Amino acid sequence: MPLDYRRFNGPEDSVSYKRFTKDYLKSYSELYNNLIDEKGRRKDGRALEEARSMCMFFARTDMVSQAKGSAYIELKKTKAVCSVFDPREIPHQNEFSQLGQLFCEVKFAPFSCPNQRRTHAPDADEKALSVALRQALEPTVCRHLFPNYQIDVFVYILENDGSCLAAAINAAGLALANAAVPMYDIITACSVAVIGEKMFVDPTEAEEHLAMMTPEKEGTNHGIITMSMLSELKQVSDFTQIGSMDTDCVTKAIEILEKECENIVPNIQKVLVLNVVQCIEQRKQLEEEAKEREQALNAKMEEWKQLLNSG
Amino acid sequence: MAGLLLSETEKVFILHGVQDDYRSDGRSNIDYRPMELETDVVSHASGSARLRLANTDILVGVKTEIDVPKPDKPDSGRIEFFVDCSANATPEFEGRGGEQLASSISNLMQRAYHSSQAFNLKQLCIFEGKQCWKLYIDILILECGGNLCDAVSLAVKAALFNTRIPFVKAALMDGGNVDLQLSDDPYDSKLLDVGSAPLLVTLCKIGENCVVDPSAEEESCSVISLIVGVTGNRQYYTQEEETDKKTMEGKCTTIAMHGPGSVAPKTLKEAINQGIIAAKSLDEALGQALLRERQENIGFKKHSYGFLK
Amino acid sequence: MDKEKLKEIGKICIPGMRLSPADDEHISGPGTYDLQGYIYATLAGILKTERDETRKATVITVVSPRTPSVLPRTGDIVTAKVTVVNSRMVQCVILCVGASVLVRPYRGVLKKEDIKSTDKDRIDPYKCFRPGDVILARVLPMTEIHWYHLSTAENELGVVIATAEGSPQGVGMVPISWSEMQCPKTLVKEPRKVARVIPENINQNLFNVGKDKEKKSKEPAEDKSN
Repeated sequence: MPLDYRRFNGPEDSVSYKRFTKDYLKSYSELYNNLIDEKGRRKDGRALEEARSMCMFFARTDMVSQAKGSAYIELKKTKAVCSVFDPREIPHQNEFSQLGQLFCEVKFAPFSCPNQRRTHAPDADEKALSVALRQALEPTVCRHLFPNYQIDVFVYILENDGSCLAAAINAAGLALANAAVPMYDIITACSVAVIGEKMFVDPTEAEEHLAMMTPEKEGTNHGIITMSMLSELKQVSDFTQIGSMDTDCVTKAIEILEKECENIVPNIQKVLVLNVVQCIEQRKQLEEEAKEREQALNAKMEEWKQLLNSG
Repeated sequence: MAGLLLSETEKVFILHGVQDDYRSDGRSNIDYRPMELETDVVSHASGSARLRLANTDILVGVKTEIDVPKPDKPDSGRIEFFVDCSANATPEFEGRGGEQLASSISNLMQRAYHSSQAFNLKQLCIFEGKQCWKLYIDILILECGGNLCDAVSLAVKAALFNTRIPFVKAALMDGGNVDLQLSDDPYDSKLLDVGSAPLLVTLCKIGENCVVDPSAEEESCSVISLIVGVTGNRQYYTQEEETDKKTMEGKCTTIAMHGPGSVAPKTLKEAINQGIIAAKSLDEALGQALLRERQENIGFKKHSYGFLK
Repeated sequence: MDKEKLKEIGKICIPGMRLSPADDEHISGPGTYDLQGYIYATLAGILKTERDETRKATVITVVSPRTPSVLPRTGDIVTAKVTVVNSRMVQCVILCVGASVLVRPYRGVLKKEDIKSTDKDRIDPYKCFRPGDVILARVLPMTEIHWYHLSTAENELGVVIATAEGSPQGVGMVPISWSEMQCPKTLVKEPRKVARVIPENINQNLFNVGKDKEKKSKEPAEDKSN
């Protein structure tokens, strides 16, 4: 729904009922203890350095029939759909540009987040995600092939349970390849939440929430890092960090993320290969059907010819 | 920048200079160009600063207002950044042209100030859960000459250093409402603790190395830049010698990439380290300048320069 | 997946896959790019290697099962439909590039002097094209932002499908000379810049691509003209 510019859009004054539950104002340590048990396992049974992609990674292409290419990615409860459209004219452009542009938009479904309802108008969060997505995708698309035009990439996050930027980038990479947009490389992304000494790879929403809160102890590291990589060329295409952490921590996180991004690659490759095989089979089937029709038609023609000649 | 054309050989010259840590204007890779800074330039703002870095001119004004704290953080104040890219700065900002840049800078600042290790919002609390100070930080870009992020973050920190918040004499609960009593004396005010406020450093990748504060020529040789937000050191912003407190190491509060290119992981790590080193020296210089100016202010020796210089 | 099927399909590539070294023997073709001495794939599809006799090298290409998201490039032959004709130029929408059908139509413009190669100063666009005609044209270098400049200054380029004024829908005119077409129903003659093509072999003169593929690309164009 477009933003209503004519009226003054006041702030929403309804609040989530969760504000009045006991869970809402839990202390930092309580939240922390909720996330991790004595054995060092996370709430959903994963180890700290275990990404959801390792145990459960579901992705498929050709979700949206109207789009040139589309993809759907599911990391347990984080679900994202992405569609890519053919190049179109850049609106309001008045300068000749040798390179084409990418237009990215990340949108949350109104019911995607656990606490607040997302409004239709893009908020600062969504805008920042869109910018990060474009930054991540730009180095991988062969933009010189469509000068003065733009390719639209739309990501819709149906359910947000953490690492939504990483999910958006992975989905967009798949959708671009599915749309047969020329790309330099496959792109994968992963994020990590830092809470003190611990690093939660591929964090859930609760883990991200805690990582964004400042620990009581002064000087403790906390924050979230998302990194996207071009797998074959070994290049970082986007790196976003928020929070507060020292260099050692960042360096360590880069290494972990590098490895994790590589771990996702085989999953993406599998989907793409399957996609190619399916496409070819489909085409083969269509061709066979066409051949059959033609044969039937020819037979009919022969019949008529004979009828005409005899009559 | 538009209208700047460099030949291949000129680009190679710049690249070689960066490789040898000796740039075409004589700086090393982590040196900034000279800047001019003046605080307290706008009389109606609680705090203000004007910074000029080469051709970039930034004016920051801080307005303080009273607001209700966020429900999930009842004991913290609020801070918000607004960037205005007027067409004054460059004709490209005409109409809605500067909107995207403005939102990306304000977003970056918001992220950099997010952690309370960078800027403690608890000092803005008046009455827990009911009332707090809200700082509106309005950033005006008067002239755009590249390296905006760094200049904006420096100017914001200087303006915050200069900000005075009135003392609240009493806060009374009157029914469900809070009744505040403020002092009538405008000089009866407190200063903010901004020592740890982050500075943004933009590192432009040229060849295999990164440089800070790139000139327009250097910018055109680079396809990717990395913006690192690094917390400041409180030590540089107080006169009292605090020897017992160990020097706080600069921490990253935000990292973002900008530009169509990509970097190798190794370069990324090096760039972050380089950014922290650059931020440290920048922070020290800023602290010294601000303290000196405050001294002059107290002694009424300060000569106001204003905008005509 | 069973291996038999995979063998039949051929070598499947995905973007970023290193295909071969880039040297005198190997040249990167469509769907690939070369970087630091190697050829990589840019599309998900099937690897094809062809021997180019003139350059004495193997051309490596990746063919995608879908139409790649491509735009008309300088030198390409495009199929377009005329929308506006005035005394200075002809405007049209580009429907196909070579053998691939475009999902979105792109705007093309054919300037008066680019219509014919001879007698350039006496060309009258009204006597060469009418709105609704389907034409073949070559793409000129891009000079404007959202307009592709086209040229029909070749014997093989020009009007392919056209309907005369007043004729029923779907009845195409038949070329009777290089500058005239006639409606088989109403026998009305109309001037056109006719492309020298025999409808059945339309494409073999222009492209050395398989006939079947070409037919496919033509069909949508015909549909739209109806």
